[in-house]
Amino acid sequence: MIEVRDLVYEYPTKRALEGVSLDVPPQTIVALVGPNGAGKTTLLRCLAALEVPYSGCVRIENLDTREAPRRIHALLGYLPDFYGLYDELSVRRCLTYAAWSHGIDANAVESAVVKAANQVGLSDRMETKAGELSRGLRQRLGIGQAIVHEPKVLLLDEPAAGLDPQARRDLSALLISLRDSGMTLVVSSHILAELEDYCSEMIIIDGGKVVGGRVVKVKDVERPRYLIEIATARADFEGFLKDASVDVIEVDEHHALITHTRNAAARAKLIRDLVAAGFEVSFFGESSRALEETYFSQFGKGAA
Amino acid sequence: MGPEFRRNLWLELTTRRIAFMVAILALIFFASAVSGPGWTPYSAAETVYYLVVVIWGARNAGLSIVKEIRDRTWDLQRLSSISAAQMAWGKLFGATIYNWFGGAICLAVMLIYGLAHGAFGKAILDFFHYVIVGVVAQAVAFLASLVALRRRSAHSRLDVFLYQLLGILAAVVAAYVWETADPESAVLLGRKSTEVIPWWGVVISARPFLLLSLAIFAGWILTGCYREMRRELKMENGPLVWLGFLGFIGLYVAGFDAWLPHEALMANWNVVALRLALASTTFAALTYVMVLLEPKDRVLYRWYASQIASADIGRVLRNLQAWIMSYFAAVAVSLVLIWWLFERGFGAFYPAVAIAGLGFITRDVSIFVFFAASRRRSDFAALVTLFALYVLIPAILDGVGLKGMLSFFYPTPSRPIWLGPAVVWVEAIAALGLAVSRVALGEKRAV
Repeated sequence: MIEVRDLVYEYPTKRALEGVSLDVPPQTIVALVGPNGAGKTTLLRCLAALEVPYSGCVRIENLDTREAPRRIHALLGYLPDFYGLYDELSVRRCLTYAAWSHGIDANAVESAVVKAANQVGLSDRMETKAGELSRGLRQRLGIGQAIVHEPKVLLLDEPAAGLDPQARRDLSALLISLRDSGMTLVVSSHILAELEDYCSEMIIIDGGKVVGGRVVKVKDVERPRYLIEIATARADFEGFLKDASVDVIEVDEHHALITHTRNAAARAKLIRDLVAAGFEVSFFGESSRALEETYFSQFGKGAA
Repeated sequence: MGPEFRRNLWLELTTRRIAFMVAILALIFFASAVSGPGWTPYSAAETVYYLVVVIWGARNAGLSIVKEIRDRTWDLQRLSSISAAQMAWGKLFGATIYNWFGGAICLAVMLIYGLAHGAFGKAILDFFHYVIVGVVAQAVAFLASLVALRRRSAHSRLDVFLYQLLGILAAVVAAYVWETADPESAVLLGRKSTEVIPWWGVVISARPFLLLSLAIFAGWILTGCYREMRRELKMENGPLVWLGFLGFIGLYVAGFDAWLPHEALMANWNVVALRLALASTTFAALTYVMVLLEPKDRVLYRWYASQIASADIGRVLRNLQAWIMSYFAAVAVSLVLIWWLFERGFGAFYPAVAIAGLGFITRDVSIFVFFAASRRRSDFAALVTLFALYVLIPAILDGVGLKGMLSFFYPTPSRPIWLGPAVVWVEAIAALGLAVSRVALGEKRAV
């Protein structure tokens, strides 16, 4: 869906992106993460055809951002960090304007507005002015504006910043439903916890380069990550796991982070084998912090 | 009706605001009708029109994009499917629709008053003039905000005030030009009005000529707004429209050869040389204006170099900046002028001055590029440098009796005649070399 090749972007005093290449598969939610000033926003703006690269290319659905920026804009939905709302307009008018501005046929505008309002849970506030909404509702309205034309790609810049826990949970559910409806989502953030619930892939960017040189798969439905903890330290823990043909991500004498088939019988066998070999298994469970673990395991490797 | 225009209608033309405008204007016109003869509804309508459409309208036009940037909605608009034309006209005429509503009432009063007092013909001409002045004021303010946006300095209140001021200044110029053909205004200002204008050897009635000229210039300003909006939406503009404007302005200004004072040095020149000189001077002036206005983006200049290196000249030409095209137009017409002067046996004096003039332009634009590649407030630094080169150093040289060196810093004849141009071109090549090396050095630093 998104293809980036040897992307270089320069500000007058700094090269912000240096030879970035990556592919984002369709119908995924990809996290764009990295420290402040790493180049996330610049990359997001290049993906959105808002900035013209110095060299290299960005293609969205085989359209080059340099050759066809307006056609790419029509394919995109974009949620900036401040949501971009007209405070004086009602929710209905905000969504109607977004529908008009994305070229929705006049006869289909009303139904598109109603559908978007339903998707983001604002159908009971259609006549409320945007300026009178809470932060969480403003964020929903921002997403409603971004999806009213049912874009193929949705770009979100720090979408959960400042939201309360319930609003974050609602956001996760909404983004997952959008992915399931066929959209490809790229979410830029430097708060890993907020991405954990819905991102399956991750692009780590630092110093204008993609760390590891590619999109990293964070979650695999067939082979999730499991954390194993043993009560007594054993120097042969790693060797045992490797002999048992387990894919080890990280291991020390007490812990191991592995990927393993979701099959219950296979997991039960692994636990049995561990216990039979004398390992005092104190914890065996699916890792709930896959994104963070991947981030830090990749980050130390430096840029490709 | 485009989405942006409709959104502005929602925001600007509310029932309450419409009622307020109608009530206020009705009071003003009633007061002017019942007051003394010095204040008529016509004069009141003129004054209110300037206040509402020119002064306030220029502010709203200048604010239309700045407000989007402040509210962080501009990127969303750029990512929409709204065409450049819909966006440009939707903002320019949408953000000022309330002003035009008030202005339309004023224009209607002027027309009705003119009809009632037997001056309908004048009222009709004034009607078109006022519409053009309003469009020029607002379009210039809007264009200024778009140009500033390219330079990434567009948000503050002072910026908006400057855009408004530029719009008002443009309206004042338009009004001044119009007054040169208005016997009443000219008498008021103590000048002689002119009923005819000689242009390209043809004597034309002043009022229709000036009205048409203003309309055409308003059209070019609107074209500029449209093209800047295209650029904001990341669409390629190509060089043809700017080259077309250069062709128009060159021909337009060259037609005013009869206005040059006859006692000038060039009195013995023939009409072709005079027209070439007018055109090349116009292009040179445009070069300075555009090099000041356009961002001297060293990333773009490095990109030019990389495209030329890969033999993609067409892409460079499609993205050429206006100052570069103006510079080459000035050079081309000046070379034709120099050839013409040699051909017609005018000697070396004028060609030497023209060659020195080209050297000065080359040096000066190189200074702008050099500073742009090295510091933030680059234009200010470049302007201070030019002030030193054109004013301070010549003043010092004059003061210490080294008048022979003035031609190295000021376009004036030298002895021997080719010494001045030679030194100026040495300065130009040095400045160009510094600019190119600074841009190239930036490449190494960036990497």
